[in-house]
Amino acid sequence: MALLSLALARHVARGLQPLRRLCASGWLREADVDLCLRLLHPALRLNRVFAQVEARRWVADDMLAIELRCNGNARDWRAGQHVQLYLEQDGVRHGRSYSLTRVTTDGRIELAIKRQPGGRLSNRLLDRLAVGEVIELGQAFGDFAWPQEQGAVLLLAAGSGLTPLLGLLRDALARGFAAPVTLLHQVRRQGQQAFAEELQALAARHANLQVRWAFSGEVGGRLTAAQLAALPGEHLLLCGPRGFVEQACGWWCDAGRGGSLQAESFSPLPVLAEADTGEVRLRFARSGQQVSGNGNASLLEQAEASGLRPAHGCRQGICTSCTCLLLAGTVRDLRSGELFAEPNQPIRLCVSAPHGDVEIDL
Amino acid sequence: MTTRLDRELSLAELEAFGQELDALRQRTLADLGEADARYIRRVRAAVRGCCWTGRALLVLGWFPPTWLLGTLLLGLGKILENMELGHNVMHGQYDWMNDPEFAGRQYEWDIVGPADFWRHTHNHVHHTYTNVLGMDDDVGYGVVRLFPEQRWKPFYRWQPLWVTIQALLFQYAVAIQHLRLDKLVKGRISKEEVKPLARRFGAKLVRQWGKDYLAFPLLALLLGANVLAVLSGNLAANLLRNLWTFLVIFCGHFTEKAAVFAPEILEGETRGHWYLRQLRGSSNLSGGSLLHILTGNLSHQIEHHLFPDLPARRYAELAREVRLIAQRYGQHYNCGTLWGQFATVLRRIWIYRLPATGTA
Repeated sequence: MALLSLALARHVARGLQPLRRLCASGWLREADVDLCLRLLHPALRLNRVFAQVEARRWVADDMLAIELRCNGNARDWRAGQHVQLYLEQDGVRHGRSYSLTRVTTDGRIELAIKRQPGGRLSNRLLDRLAVGEVIELGQAFGDFAWPQEQGAVLLLAAGSGLTPLLGLLRDALARGFAAPVTLLHQVRRQGQQAFAEELQALAARHANLQVRWAFSGEVGGRLTAAQLAALPGEHLLLCGPRGFVEQACGWWCDAGRGGSLQAESFSPLPVLAEADTGEVRLRFARSGQQVSGNGNASLLEQAEASGLRPAHGCRQGICTSCTCLLLAGTVRDLRSGELFAEPNQPIRLCVSAPHGDVEIDL
Repeated sequence: MTTRLDRELSLAELEAFGQELDALRQRTLADLGEADARYIRRVRAAVRGCCWTGRALLVLGWFPPTWLLGTLLLGLGKILENMELGHNVMHGQYDWMNDPEFAGRQYEWDIVGPADFWRHTHNHVHHTYTNVLGMDDDVGYGVVRLFPEQRWKPFYRWQPLWVTIQALLFQYAVAIQHLRLDKLVKGRISKEEVKPLARRFGAKLVRQWGKDYLAFPLLALLLGANVLAVLSGNLAANLLRNLWTFLVIFCGHFTEKAAVFAPEILEGETRGHWYLRQLRGSSNLSGGSLLHILTGNLSHQIEHHLFPDLPARRYAELAREVRLIAQRYGQHYNCGTLWGQFATVLRRIWIYRLPATGTA
């Protein structure tokens, strides 16, 4: 039961600065303060972002758009960024990244979630996430942005790669962007054209917008280099699975079209085949380093070899001094051989070896 | 006095021994889930319930039933927070939940020692070098001689007195362990190295004292309640916790049949060796589930040392299998009642205050 409406709770959240300071300096325990705030409204927290589901609608056969209203802690979010959505299952808080398709100043956001066959979270979200439910989000991140320069814009999306582009497109058109915009959305089959009606309506309203679809599941439906060359635009924004993005980037650069290029891909990082101990790519996110490594040595040793000084203790998995978040990729526990691939999961660097390319919060 | 009857294990046996324990660990890891998460959240709720009710009762002043109950509840809440919640969360036992509130590397507990200090002295030093003389500072914490293998110094003559003071001020003893004051006195580390640590300790000390001995008494004053009753209740609750944690922790490694090791044991130590050292160096307390919860399951010190990062609520079920494994490999499984084990600890403190009795 909420004592306050969420709109009112958002105003309360602004006035909690003294409490935030007391928690940050250790005089109060944030979890205890949050417990009291939850009595006012289930989504109200001191620092963490919680949001209430306000609406849900199907925008394709396999994609659901959910509208959420955040508590006051979502800071400077922009459409086109990503946000982690957390859901607890079997005692574990799992996080998945989704793009913001809309952000309004009154704290409302929209996310679009595509069904992943066999997915642990997406199916639960699509089938059971109810209006009124309160869920946790992370802070938004990502720097996909509408081109600042003049000139025609080309948007290329594959699958759920549409979502960040749609957010940027809606914003740009609402601001009165007048240069030509072409959007090509590649999906596997009919029925997967997410937000199709809305896109058609936008195109009808804005003469500078053209929307097209390609069906990769049909013969000759997949985007080719020649088709890309025929699409107008100086600035390319590109989002989709890794393979799609890498191929289209290659074609764009080979064609020497100039302008600007922004690309994001979302496939999981490649995983080593069993018994393969070849070279892998290690990315240390906080220090902004990318190095090549191998699948044999621990991440602690490899981070040290590339000049980093991660906190560590026993170097044998006992003391947890080197615990650190696995952002993406798969690691292997050197003690048990077990594989871990959950994004944003804490791992111990001293007993984890990369099993394919990995990204670590270090 | 160290009268263990352990069979020496061959290298092959040691490896098999290690593998059995590893397999046990894997089985438990694979089974972690909802029930464990619910448990630690309930412990957190119990901590809040005890502490908040206790503090509320203390505001009622000197009226004996409420003052006593308030003090006991506050003490109980602090004990639970210290042992079953703080200690276990900070071991990373609940890291798999991926919940920031139970993240081992972030948790800050309600005692004067900063959590980061303890993550080093306890999680790293004590758990890596358990009962290795000269490496594990927890063996006597520098003020008590408990094993004949420890070199005697005249200072130890008065150790029954030192250990009493330590028990009364136990949270402070644990807190300053990280400052390495002994090394500072001997000139082996510089003042500059200790200064930043001392500052952090000071900041935490100010917060803890500010909370228990200033903020809550002042709150009582505002409510027109008896300040001294609140102050003394808080003091007594902290004292209760000091004595209880001292009791539990000294029974974990310094009982009659606990073994200590020379530093040479670490050379080329395999995983099997490491497990064996943890088993031989630790001692359990037998009792009911209330005792296990109040000790933060450190009544299963052996299981805690074999598997420091498994949720402590699993130790009781692990203990049954560990006991059988120990039996199969001819290792003594050190377990006794709280008072029985403590009596042997007191005996060690008394006997080894003198140099001559070192006839093990």
